[in-house]
Amino acid sequence: MTHATEAGSAAPQTPLLEMRHVAKSFGGVRALVDANLTLYPGEIHALLGENGAGKSTLLKALAGVHTIDAGDITLKGAPFRQGSTRESIEQGIAVIYQEPSLFPDLTLAENVFVGRQLTSGVLINWDEMARQSRELFQRLGVQLDPNARARGISIADQQIVEIAKALSTDATVIVMDEPTAALSSREVERLFQVATNLKNQGYAVVFVSHRLDEVFALCDRLTVMRDGETVGSKMIADSSEADVVRMMVGREVSELFPKLDVPIGDVVLSVDNLSLEGQFEDISFDVHAGEILGLAGLVGSGRSEVVRAIFGIDRYDSGTVRLNGEPIPPGKPAVAMDKGLALVPEDRRQQGLFMASSISRNVVATLWKKLSQWLLLLRRREDSTAANWGKTLQVKYAELADPVERLSGGNQQKVVLAKWLATEPQVLIVDEPTRGIDVGTKAEVHRLLSEKAQAGMAVIMVSSELPEVLGMSDRIVVMREGKQMGILDRSEADSEKIITLATGGVIV
Amino acid sequence: MTIVGNVLKARELPVFLAIVLVILATGIAKPTFFSATGVVDILLGVAVVAILAVGQTFVIVARHIDLSVGSLIGFTSFVIGDFYDKGYGTLGALLGALAIGVAVGAVNGFLVAYMQLPSLVVTLGSLYIVRGIFSDYAFGRTVTAAMVPPEVAWLGFNRLFGIPYLFLLGLALVIISGFVMRRTRAARDLYAIGSNPQAAELAGIPVARRVFTAFVMNGAIAGLAGAVLLGRFNAANANSALALELVVVAACVVGGVTIAGGSGTVWGAFLGAILLQSITRAIGALGIPQFWQQAFNGGLIILAIAFDRYLNSRVKTTTIMGSKDE
Repeated sequence: MTHATEAGSAAPQTPLLEMRHVAKSFGGVRALVDANLTLYPGEIHALLGENGAGKSTLLKALAGVHTIDAGDITLKGAPFRQGSTRESIEQGIAVIYQEPSLFPDLTLAENVFVGRQLTSGVLINWDEMARQSRELFQRLGVQLDPNARARGISIADQQIVEIAKALSTDATVIVMDEPTAALSSREVERLFQVATNLKNQGYAVVFVSHRLDEVFALCDRLTVMRDGETVGSKMIADSSEADVVRMMVGREVSELFPKLDVPIGDVVLSVDNLSLEGQFEDISFDVHAGEILGLAGLVGSGRSEVVRAIFGIDRYDSGTVRLNGEPIPPGKPAVAMDKGLALVPEDRRQQGLFMASSISRNVVATLWKKLSQWLLLLRRREDSTAANWGKTLQVKYAELADPVERLSGGNQQKVVLAKWLATEPQVLIVDEPTRGIDVGTKAEVHRLLSEKAQAGMAVIMVSSELPEVLGMSDRIVVMREGKQMGILDRSEADSEKIITLATGGVIV
Repeated sequence: MTIVGNVLKARELPVFLAIVLVILATGIAKPTFFSATGVVDILLGVAVVAILAVGQTFVIVARHIDLSVGSLIGFTSFVIGDFYDKGYGTLGALLGALAIGVAVGAVNGFLVAYMQLPSLVVTLGSLYIVRGIFSDYAFGRTVTAAMVPPEVAWLGFNRLFGIPYLFLLGLALVIISGFVMRRTRAARDLYAIGSNPQAAELAGIPVARRVFTAFVMNGAIAGLAGAVLLGRFNAANANSALALELVVVAACVVGGVTIAGGSGTVWGAFLGAILLQSITRAIGALGIPQFWQQAFNGGLIILAIAFDRYLNSRVKTTTIMGSKDE
């Protein structure tokens, strides 16, 4: 195999990989504007940034999943050939995704060599594949049976198999995309050991993680991305966690999202010690009438799971949810709805709308009991109710009978909101209410939420966009890996505090 | 791992035991069941289904399905007789059948692999289209024994040590394909595709090309198998092999070729074909009303699926933190 060269030698070295001024757009959305990344052999390089900063897009360009629009990539001094995953693998790029994609029905050995099975002549040599896999596992210091099937092995072991696969392809660049997100602390330790071994053997390892403590414990250098651009690269030795957080946040919180100041009323909904194993733990907060409570945290921190549990879509192991002091039974969304809860889900296409049904039908989907007579829906009542809501929310549509899928993303979101507001809930839960919609509609959604709060509704808003959380929330619950890290008041909250809590740091 | 260990762990073992059980139990109840004609009957019945099940396994393993094979084999069995009768010779007739099989397989494969249409729907469509063309082609005509190429008739009539050549032909195909499925890259790619299509794409496997090839191979096998069907019955008409595709899929499923793709062997499908055929004959021999046979086979399919599910769930899975992509 072709590596194990300048291990550990001091800079300056020749870079192994250089990505310069990379740009990539999807439709109208600019995922990468000016991204730069330089990797040296024998280093572990952290790639950092908020959700949506462009890390994944950049790595997928390297993996051959996306082709870049502009910029250039050189690997070992030669231009990098883009276009397919196979091309990338052949050039020595290996990507280990957060959720490894093994083949459950195949053996570990075949997983290692999938698509490039070892052959003698044209026939597959199973013994040789098993032998080489065993050797690779040993080199990584992990006991795994190459003849076992992949079905059911732990995520940590799956990653080891992926890494073994990378080594077997003679990869020189090994990218690990949030590998520790689903690992226990002992498994993380083992992975760190493996990564350090790889570094010492001369590989360039890219490590994506939201956990700054891990980055500082493991990596040599870091690159921070924000809004599709590279903010900068630094040696870990020359940086502090505070620097990094500042680089990640960067922007000022704009005044785009003003929540009206309204008197905060009594507690409407209280959540006490809510826990669900493996998802979230000990979540407690109150929401008052007229209040917007932000739920902040990184993607995967358990926010959506908490609100789904509150609304009764998922069950929980322990804890209580009470509305006006009265307990809401777990696991019964219909009851929660009757009592005055509403949940606007995160993924409107999958969970929020009946895409092929008419706008009216969607708006009144929550109201069929109210609008029907002898079990028949009355079209006339449907349409008039829907038209009212359409006007209130300024939905732009041609015909109420048009299928929802014909509307723009922003207008679809308004229809989902209308659907739930039509139930006149006391507590409105919105999960990522403005994801993927344009700025104008965003402002309208914010105005609407603010007005509803003013009218005495209690609102819980899950959002990954810091400016939105900061602009709209009266108080902010910050979660990290299923745990509630703290509740910040509007007056004390700022981006750095939220990021620090969300990534596991301590506020100084 | 020892060979014994492998055999004991194999998904095919219970199918094999079931076959033994059915045959022994029936034989004890009705000793005539063991007569030479009884066994030969089973073997002849198995041959056609087993050959089609081999081709079907290529497709199912890649998480697809091909329902057009019943119409296809019926059509080509007719074409072989008709072509021979028209003087194209045995070779010409077989080449014609092969060409039709490859063409239908290529159309199915193109629509599924390159146009990304669901194979269930595509092949349901081609099932009717091929049967329609067949009916029109065969309109009012039948292929009679006199029109069957002599080599084909010979295959159907003759035996080697009492075993019909048709069965041996099927067995040979199973042995060769079993080897190919285990030892060639293209075939292993099909397993990978069926096991995890997205990951197969990421691993650089030429997914579309492999799936296309699987359909073409299956079409070619079904096309040529027309000769086997014709050799067995010595006749063909527009209703030949009607609904046979369902028996073929059933044989695969019963034999452990998981409909969700990724696992199963041609040996399993072969045993599945034998089990279904044995049960059919056993029910006949025992004088149980024929409609029970269908219900019984249906029950067996569901049992097989439940068994596969049970096997998979027995594997310990580790729970993961819920996570989403960016």
